[in-house]
Amino acid sequence: MKRHQSLIINHQSPITIGWLYPQLMSTYGDRGNIIVLQKRCEWRGIKLTVLNLNEGFDEKLLDDIDILFMGGAQDTQQQIVSNDFTSRRIAGLKKRIEDGTPGLYVCGAYQFLGKYYKNANGTKIKGLDIFDLHTEHSGEGKKRLIGNIAIKTHDGKIIVGFENHGGRTYLKKNLKSFGQVIKGFGNNGMDKTEGAIYKNSVGTYLHGPILPKNPEIADWLIEKALERKYKKRIKLEKLNDFLSQKAKKIMLQNMSSY
Amino acid sequence: MYNHSMNLLLILFGKIVIIISKVLNIGNGSTWPGHIALENDKNFIKKILAKNQKLKIILIVGTNGKTTTGKLIQTILEKNNNKVFQNQAGANLLNGIASSLIKQCNLAGKINYDFAVFEVDENSLPLILDNINPEAIVLLNLFRDQLDRYGEVNIIANKWTRALSMIDKKTILILNADDPKIAYLGNSIKNKIKYFGIKGTSKAIDHASDSTYCPECGNKLTYRSTTFSHLGNWACGNCQLKKPKTDLENFKIYPLPGLYNKYNTHAAVLTARIFGVSDDKISGALKNFKPAFGRQEIIEHKGKEIQIFLSKNPASFNQSLATINDLGAKNLLIILNDRIPDGRDISWIWDIDFENNLKDFKSITVSGDRVYDMTLRLNYADKNNVKPYDRLSNAIKDSIESTAKNEILYILPTYSAMLEVRKILTGKSIP
Repeated sequence: MKRHQSLIINHQSPITIGWLYPQLMSTYGDRGNIIVLQKRCEWRGIKLTVLNLNEGFDEKLLDDIDILFMGGAQDTQQQIVSNDFTSRRIAGLKKRIEDGTPGLYVCGAYQFLGKYYKNANGTKIKGLDIFDLHTEHSGEGKKRLIGNIAIKTHDGKIIVGFENHGGRTYLKKNLKSFGQVIKGFGNNGMDKTEGAIYKNSVGTYLHGPILPKNPEIADWLIEKALERKYKKRIKLEKLNDFLSQKAKKIMLQNMSSY
Repeated sequence: MYNHSMNLLLILFGKIVIIISKVLNIGNGSTWPGHIALENDKNFIKKILAKNQKLKIILIVGTNGKTTTGKLIQTILEKNNNKVFQNQAGANLLNGIASSLIKQCNLAGKINYDFAVFEVDENSLPLILDNINPEAIVLLNLFRDQLDRYGEVNIIANKWTRALSMIDKKTILILNADDPKIAYLGNSIKNKIKYFGIKGTSKAIDHASDSTYCPECGNKLTYRSTTFSHLGNWACGNCQLKKPKTDLENFKIYPLPGLYNKYNTHAAVLTARIFGVSDDKISGALKNFKPAFGRQEIIEHKGKEIQIFLSKNPASFNQSLATINDLGAKNLLIILNDRIPDGRDISWIWDIDFENNLKDFKSITVSGDRVYDMTLRLNYADKNNVKPYDRLSNAIKDSIESTAKNEILYILPTYSAMLEVRKILTGKSIP
């Protein structure tokens, strides 16, 4: 990839990624999403800082965040995070999602945004109630939804990733899905929807991680962040994405063979 | 009587299968015979072991290091004049163990060995303990690995805790004190336990860390020092749980480079001591140790030296990179496959710390099913001179050519890729 120098946004104040619970909510290579956002900004000469929002973080920090990211986790870790989401922190996060701060919420984080998560034992865990959806785990006997997945977003982008979830997510009518499943399971393996998009926040089951092979999503997040920050239309410079397109193509070819 | 002759029939049949697969080079001889025997009699293993009460069994389990530790133990015990056999590396489910019993017994079901050293798949430990009453169990470590197949680290740790609560009280455990989840397995158990560890040096905790939370109370652990990943001198500030006192942290000789092999060596030494082998005998055995296939195995090819470091998850990949950096590596070939034995999910490559662990290489070549995913990963770590190859044979040919006479080509493959490399270089995937 070639390094470009950006003319419009150089020397301005940096944009800030708020990484929610990087130690607790980080599995399946989630860190790759942060690396991609960092590098794609760096290659364009956009200054960017990453702010880790760990257990007990000050919710006031959320005010200065331009992009939010939260990943998946193991059950034990998810419980610790759930306990750490006090009403003040929930309110802070809700405010940012409602005001259009772009964000990416993967797997466990996506489930968190809904009304509740019913786990394998049938216990309901309250969600943050920001996205109008709920998730149910139909018990240890039910198979997990695992494998490569390809979806098509509403504006026609083909997005690939790897999904691995026991919970089935159901969207309410007024909540838009992130995309339609082409190959794979998606939200619940039944209704062909995958993920959800609300204002500028994307919730999805796609690991892989999602951003390296789908840089268009990374650039969309960066663009939205800059537009909000500088209150004008931003068109990012193109980068050479030959490798990610090639990796995506090979995955799609392999998927069409089964 | 019926049962007895049935068992012998299964053994005979299994042995024929082994011979046929060898002759036809089918390569499934390491699991088929056992699979068929267990299908016909689910107590096959119990019955054959009942006839061989004197056979001492050692089980080895953990994410990384099973094969090398098994070979270390076998080498030491053989030096002590014991007859030892192992299951074939990778054939570590119940059917692989049944197969190796069929292979090693005579037609009357008698096994003329003193020891069986079995490496055991993480998920299969409970089932295997239902069938086998081992003399000793070595528990090495638990790292993030193939989440699509094994599930999360905590789930495996819970399975092991349940399985170990039911073992014979005479079974001795050899546990890694530096791995919180492994050390904690010893907490609720009355069996005799030997702990190994390493004196840590670094203070920093790697990104690819899994067990930094207290296995007792869930509080965040603090580390006085770490060796790599989440291994180190840990303690919980809340419930006061801490790294147990170790029986071994240093030995006089290490046959293989790399911190991870220090752990493997310590585990093997403690195991050998349990069976009465003297430290002098142990050192003598380790001096002549030859690595297991694909695990730092050296292959000569067209006058060049090639060394294969199986690298199958972030912890093992980071350790391979750290070790070859120490060895002054100049030429690197990385091969990433996404088949069942490798794990279909390749997200883990983003947890490898290429940013800090990949030093100044003259040439970096990449191949495998997911060659462009790996090249892309390296690109995001600012490695721009990486050469991707669709065909593995071409990648091997060219990277050997660009390796100078006095240099070594280091190959870091995932599991199935390692078998492919061996097949290309030696004609055989498994020795």
